[in-house]
Amino acid sequence: MIQTRNLTKRYGSFTAVDTVNLNIPAGEIYGFLGPNGAGKTSTIMMLLGIVKPTAGEIRLFDEPYSSKRLDLRRRIGMVPEKHPVGMWTWMTAGEYLQMFAELFSLEEANRRIDHLLERVGLAEVKNKKFSEFSRGMLQKLSFVRALLHDPDILFLDEPISGLDPFGVKQIRDLILEENREGRTIFISSHILSEMEKVCQRVAIIFGGKLMAEDQMKSLLTTLAKDREIHVDLEELPAELIAKVKKLKFVQDAIGAEKTLIVKVPKTGDYRKELSKYLIDQNLVPLSIQEKSLSLEEAFVTITKENINLFAGIGGEK
Amino acid sequence: MNQRAHATSVLAKRRILETLISPGYYVAQTIGLVLAYLLVAGFVRAVDSSGFNYTLNQAYELIGRSLVGAFGATFVEKLFSEGPFLFTLYIAFLPVLLYLAVSSVFRFGLEKKVGALELLTYGPADGTSYFLAALIKDILMTAIYLVVLLLFLFIAGLLNNLILGPSFYYSLVILFFLSIAIYAYGIFASSLTDNSASAIAVFLGLILFFIIIMMGSFTVVSGYVRNLASVLAWIIKWISPLFYWDLALRFVEMGNWGMYFIGVALLLLLSVVVLFISHLTIKTRGVRA
Repeated sequence: MIQTRNLTKRYGSFTAVDTVNLNIPAGEIYGFLGPNGAGKTSTIMMLLGIVKPTAGEIRLFDEPYSSKRLDLRRRIGMVPEKHPVGMWTWMTAGEYLQMFAELFSLEEANRRIDHLLERVGLAEVKNKKFSEFSRGMLQKLSFVRALLHDPDILFLDEPISGLDPFGVKQIRDLILEENREGRTIFISSHILSEMEKVCQRVAIIFGGKLMAEDQMKSLLTTLAKDREIHVDLEELPAELIAKVKKLKFVQDAIGAEKTLIVKVPKTGDYRKELSKYLIDQNLVPLSIQEKSLSLEEAFVTITKENINLFAGIGGEK
Repeated sequence: MNQRAHATSVLAKRRILETLISPGYYVAQTIGLVLAYLLVAGFVRAVDSSGFNYTLNQAYELIGRSLVGAFGATFVEKLFSEGPFLFTLYIAFLPVLLYLAVSSVFRFGLEKKVGALELLTYGPADGTSYFLAALIKDILMTAIYLVVLLLFLFIAGLLNNLILGPSFYYSLVILFFLSIAIYAYGIFASSLTDNSASAIAVFLGLILFFIIIMMGSFTVVSGYVRNLASVLAWIIKWISPLFYWDLALRFVEMGNWGMYFIGVALLLLLSVVVLFISHLTIKTRGVRA
């Protein structure tokens, strides 16, 4: 569905995107992650045909893509990070959407507008000037605009940035719902905890370079150096940590209030052995949980290694 | 209809609607028509047995002396040779021309800066269709005002026993094409810049530069300034819409209608060239601020 080969964008001597190769199949929710200034928006702008690549190739729907391909652009929807403020202030939400419906020559535009506004909970404010809308309402309006022409690919640039928890949930549900209907969704974000909840596959971009790309689960498993088992106890005797550290499958152990945190090799599941040992010590485990690596931690691991790589013998900067 | 033409027509319709529902266009028209009324009334009061004598009216005296100083006595004589309407046409046209040109340039800069232009190009529109839509709106609004102004001056002429001479009609046509070229330069200035302030500065700078160069070619000043202005005028004149406007009007004086239409065609050609360069600039610089 979306393919890039050696996609590169330079601004003078600064390389914003450096030989990025992407291959995103149809129907996937793809997370494009990186800190601010990593090259995410430049990549999206090139994929939309708004910014011309310095080098490399883009293929959308198995066809070569450039800014001239207005026919292919019709099959793309885009939700920018922020809705332009101060423009079209005289328009109601309905009139605004009608303008885009006309641009796309949509048939039965009114029905489609009503249906989409209903879906995002904005039906009641259709005839209100959208200059009076809140940030969350504008974001939902942007979604409706992007979905008006029923695009095959939906690009989302920082879709939940600045939203309250209720707005975040609404947008997340909308993303998942759209994906269930078969839409390919490309999300660029730096809010990793949220991406972990919706993305099936992620790519991590840092300094313009693609550092990692994999299925969410595989990425987290690959990057985890060890496993962490958290055991909640009724009480945590002072000598217990030293004893646990001596167990042959334990790499490290620490205590946090009444929780025992044990690091074990990622090759095996040692919850049973640990539980048995604690019972033998006359302790009652209230809960045993394995804590997996979060996307945030995976991201830090990847980018930190990358910094070391660039820093060479100079070490981490 | 191809994608770009369709997007242009949709955007143009919206821009026309926006202009018609906002007060700015009507305010500019009102200012233009009030000026037209005052100038025609003032002219009638400055006519004696020998004909028009601008020293008889204070306002006209000031205008006359300023124009003689800037463009020379011959220019002023020609301007009033057929009565007040030629001068009135230019003055009454200015508020609307300036309003349309500056508001479009301002809006390009604003829409580019806040990302509205980019938003439009997520769909089947592109930077060029956006600019063409604005141009179509400006052309249509100009044409409407010129018709209104023509009717207004025609009635003013009837009431004062004055007629609109042939130079008036030829000037009316050339003024329409001159405005297209000026709007094209507005688009060019917008394509070069990333915000409203710099776009307006570049646009007004260009227009001022063209006026100064034209004044340099009209006035007879001895010495270095005159020579420098002449050399600059010769170089710049080919890209100045005012040169083609002046050229066409000179052919009118000579009664050479064929060459007049060639002057109009050249003005139109200049607009097309400026728009094409703007199109290339937008393609290169993109729609993002």
